[in-house]
Amino acid sequence: MKKSIRFYFAFYLAKISIIALKIIRRDASQFPGKLAITLCPNFLEQIGKPKTIIAVTGTNGKTTVCNMIEDCLKENGYDFIDNQLGSNTNSGIASTFIKGAKLSGEQKKELAVFEIDERSSIRVYPYVKPTYLICTNLFRDSLMRNAHTEFISNMLSNNIPKETKLILNGDDLIVSNLAPENSRIYFGINRLETDTDTCENIARDIIVCPKCDSKLEYDFVRYNHIGRAHCSKCDFASPHIDYEVTNIDFENKTMTIKHEEKEEQYNLINNNIINIYNMLATITLLQEIGLTKEQINPILRKQKIVDTRYSKEIVGNIELITQLAKGMNPIACSRAFDYVRKESGNKAVFILLDDLHEAANGSENIAWHYDTDFEFLKDDSIKQILTAGARYLDTKVRLQMADIDMNKVVCQREEMSLVEQLNLEGIDKVFILHDLYSMDLKNEIKEQVKKKIEEGDF
Amino acid sequence: MEEKLKIEILFPEFCNLYGDISNMKYLKKCLPKATFIETAFDEEPCFVKEEVNFIYLGPMTESRQEKVIQKLQPYKERIKELIEKNVIFLITGNALEIFGDAIETEDGNKIEALGIFHLHAKRDMLHRHNSIFIGTWEEIKVVGFKSQFTFSYGENSNNYFAKVEKGVGINKETNLEGIQENNFIGTYLIGPILILNPYLTKKLIEKMGIKEPKLAFEEDTIAAYKQRLKEFQSL
Repeated sequence: MKKSIRFYFAFYLAKISIIALKIIRRDASQFPGKLAITLCPNFLEQIGKPKTIIAVTGTNGKTTVCNMIEDCLKENGYDFIDNQLGSNTNSGIASTFIKGAKLSGEQKKELAVFEIDERSSIRVYPYVKPTYLICTNLFRDSLMRNAHTEFISNMLSNNIPKETKLILNGDDLIVSNLAPENSRIYFGINRLETDTDTCENIARDIIVCPKCDSKLEYDFVRYNHIGRAHCSKCDFASPHIDYEVTNIDFENKTMTIKHEEKEEQYNLINNNIINIYNMLATITLLQEIGLTKEQINPILRKQKIVDTRYSKEIVGNIELITQLAKGMNPIACSRAFDYVRKESGNKAVFILLDDLHEAANGSENIAWHYDTDFEFLKDDSIKQILTAGARYLDTKVRLQMADIDMNKVVCQREEMSLVEQLNLEGIDKVFILHDLYSMDLKNEIKEQVKKKIEEGDF
Repeated sequence: MEEKLKIEILFPEFCNLYGDISNMKYLKKCLPKATFIETAFDEEPCFVKEEVNFIYLGPMTESRQEKVIQKLQPYKERIKELIEKNVIFLITGNALEIFGDAIETEDGNKIEALGIFHLHAKRDMLHRHNSIFIGTWEEIKVVGFKSQFTFSYGENSNNYFAKVEKGVGINKETNLEGIQENNFIGTYLIGPILILNPYLTKKLIEKMGIKEPKLAFEEDTIAAYKQRLKEFQSL
């Protein structure tokens, strides 16, 4: 595409802004792109693109999948640009292109890996046409921003370029029906022992057939609408899976992936089903672009989940586990609650899910609490639930709605003194479930818990 | 008396966005002896042939709105009759639009709705409106949240649900929220409205004939309500 004078004006100014921001040691991951798009609205269309673009979208797992893809590509000698440190919106993508471009406006590298926010589809895909697009899953997310899954899936289907090859979660009936005209590859996990015939989650976004409105018959349910189903009255059904996990050996942390009659074994990072899906999405993409198991597995097996998402350490005789449970995201929080209840031993759980920004400047819409499975915390192995923050009175009501024994619950406004209420007697594991923006609070609580354990203060 | 109450939840398999179905879960906890009927989309609503005391319809996706309109169209006269008979309707979020005249999409298409109330909705899928809400309903302060792609337009000065103290009404130009006709309450408020508003819940239960009802974990819902009202008033 011929570049306009307006484009070059925006491009050079954005390039200069990167240097200026570096001098004053400010973050340059979003501003240059934002500036360029403001000055030249079709900037993303005009800037040079790499030959191959790998994009990752979906409600949960985008960042993890991108990180794994990037690590594998890097270790195998690929050179690429990415928005790992920046924003996943059109501004962040434009910033990445600006940084990676020569003065002509063309890209220096031939490969890009982008995490793309689902909501940004409308502003990204008309100009940036991914060669491959992974969609990890589509769930209820922030209702204020993302409304509902039909809104997001329509937005994706209406904007994904026709030439993009899709790599889709075939166990997610919403994802598997995205952009039906596009070529596609499905990944999925065959029935597991832990799967059920009925769903115990509150949020289920595909109960009736999208074609004929008849009730879907689930062959198995994993969680929420993840599973396999078919319509009893028409031909709507879960798709044929191209890359399928046929066996998971949780004890030895391995999984077997079947593709075109060939079975290969991969090591697991951990036994969390969410991470297995993330790994499977990564492996599917990497195999599709030509990498082999020998090139992928040694890198993936070394992966560690970043501390901001998950950490585990043993203090005294007690395991102290921190787990990200994104506030306003009912499925992420429900998965965290499910993880806690299914872990062995007696447990105490800190729940720190308030949106701290809203707590400081407004009043959080807590409707999402009621799409979240607080009911999973009603488990005999969970001996104490400790929660604090601006919404503590709402959480207290929500826990009662979940029929949780309130004698187990500590609910207070003040976060910092919460650890004083922790009763460690007979406890094997302490979980701290926290929001993305509560890192400082999580770290403070974690240190206090460690101190309490080390001092034998129980 | 309580054991004679019949509460019908319409199409809970998809009219269940934004945690709204918790309203019925809370009502079940407040009225444990009442009968709750969950009517699936492929069933005939119970209210068509039987007497019910309370009908609930929660928010849904835009494509579902059209299907629900088609589903309820044959029962329009029965719905009007039930409104006349003072049956309680709690209609939340964009379910309100089902009972208006029409829903206008961004491309100018009009989806004819039931036409029970003379409101028409306009969709703008690129702009989501989010706001907090305080309004007065029968001398009770109602608090809540709005999160929506549509606003409704039309005359509701004689049949509004609540007068807005903070936030917006059925559109940004009016301080009159929702619709109330006898005991039909339709509001754009979303989420656990009954849990957030214990005094409103008490009054609705009283309207079903229960004297001095005691809510489930009443002290805690009232404490949360008072805190939220104070917070909203300070914003």
